[in-house]
Amino acid sequence: MIDQGIKSRPVYERLRIDHSGLRHLFVADTPSFSVEPLAAEAQALEVWAVAPLDSEGVSPALTDERHRSFRSVQGLIQRLTHRLKDERMGFRLYAAGREGFLWDVYGTAQQAGLGRQEVFLTHHGSTRRRVMCVHCRTFNEGVTTTIAQCEGCGAQLFVRDHFSRRLSAYMGVKVDAELPGDVPPAEQAYQ
Amino acid sequence: MGIQFKPTETFRGDFSYSNSDEAVLRFPFPFAEDKYMYSVNMEPHVRKGPCPVFEHAFDVDEHYIAECHERALVLESDPKRCQVLPHMMAAQWDTLELIMESLATDYPEHFSLTRDGDNWHWINRPLNTDQRFVFGDPSTLPREPFEYITRQAQGDFTIQDQRDHNLYVDGGMVTCQADWSLEFDIGMSFHEWHGPVPLAHDIGVFDRALQYLLRLQYGQPVRRLNWTMTVNPRMDTSPENYPDWGPDKLTVTPENVDRKVHLRVELQTLFRLPRSNGILFGIRCYLISLQDLERVTKWSKRLGRVLATLPPELVEYKGIARYRDMVVSRLAAVDDGAPLSLGIQPDQTSLPPRR
Repeated sequence: MIDQGIKSRPVYERLRIDHSGLRHLFVADTPSFSVEPLAAEAQALEVWAVAPLDSEGVSPALTDERHRSFRSVQGLIQRLTHRLKDERMGFRLYAAGREGFLWDVYGTAQQAGLGRQEVFLTHHGSTRRRVMCVHCRTFNEGVTTTIAQCEGCGAQLFVRDHFSRRLSAYMGVKVDAELPGDVPPAEQAYQ
Repeated sequence: MGIQFKPTETFRGDFSYSNSDEAVLRFPFPFAEDKYMYSVNMEPHVRKGPCPVFEHAFDVDEHYIAECHERALVLESDPKRCQVLPHMMAAQWDTLELIMESLATDYPEHFSLTRDGDNWHWINRPLNTDQRFVFGDPSTLPREPFEYITRQAQGDFTIQDQRDHNLYVDGGMVTCQADWSLEFDIGMSFHEWHGPVPLAHDIGVFDRALQYLLRLQYGQPVRRLNWTMTVNPRMDTSPENYPDWGPDKLTVTPENVDRKVHLRVELQTLFRLPRSNGILFGIRCYLISLQDLERVTKWSKRLGRVLATLPPELVEYKGIARYRDMVVSRLAAVDDGAPLSLGIQPDQTSLPPRR
């Protein structure tokens, strides 16, 4: 059930510095990702990370110019958008975090004109899914089960392994569309 | 002689769509043999072959006006069924040129195109459209060029951008699809948008198809037939509206199976576009009821044999599990098991009454 054999689901690899780049920025949705191995490969690596929830909006002190901390994912993405406007050839972007975050970063980079070969992603942390209801186009965040009720239209959605990088979301399809009420039990699948 | 259009037939509600005898005999039956499996079954889209629908770049038939009307109904409720990413404007104009030129050349009694430099004059008589515009200037058309022209064509279309040795589905007009979503898939690479198709990845079909298409040449389009089955002659079997059409599958009984169940065939054509270097992918949908298909003896027997031996994964993927056995037993009852000729041609030139 968890691997449905669908080829659109991204496969991630360990991050490595791409030495064809001149400037390197790493972003993460949590400070818990161990960035040291990556930093060891590029001394000038900049590191941006979202502060843990228990900091409750208090800005952590800047340790040095190359390390930044953000109150939220939203804040990091907005700052990244601003930063990418000024970047030029030779820039490389690395991201670690939950899948929704990774493809939000990727989309931000694409809009700024970065190519596929200039952005590197690795999954870290929760495997909860963002699920777009294909019927009403509501995004359902943090889905942990194989079947989940859509917050927009109320349909019981089966979470397909079909993933859209553009939407940064999996597809949810009404599981009992043919025989309404015939809903199999949901299984815990994504933690 | 012009085509006799059936402008009032419907693909929803009372489902008044039906095929004339002529339309039955020219139906693109997709099975050349008694067994079906995925393959890279593309061939040059030349104006000949075993089926009359191959004789034009874009086939226009008696359902033209009704299908354009159905498309307008779908777009009225869901405009996102037509989307094109911003970098595809050259491909939009390429598409408009290809469809207008082809229709005007192939069906001069119904369509005409006059070009005076960039000043173009398009007349679509079946839809009562008379449009003068400047080629390359979107402000001179009532809609963006891709949407403008594909609202006047039968079948779905997507435009593929070619870059990084891959094809990306970066635009489309998708209102009569067999259960895939443009809103979800737009922007995907070739393997991503085919991700849900079972079995074919593992036997390398998509790797080979992509290599083939990357080398597609301008002026040398290719085609293939694909198929599934649909309950009622419903064009819009989109995932978006699956809650509306999914329950139809449970309405099939041994008594009504011949009227309810339709073979749905896609004539898929691929054209290299000259300015954008993109690819236009046409997905023209044909529907035929089982009761009409049975009037062609060879097709009746062959469809029964194909369905009886279809791999379980494909039965599931094509969504026909709930009524497949009813179709198979009905068709098997009139199959004497005699060998059938290879190829898709009907092997008869007139039709008996319905059973």
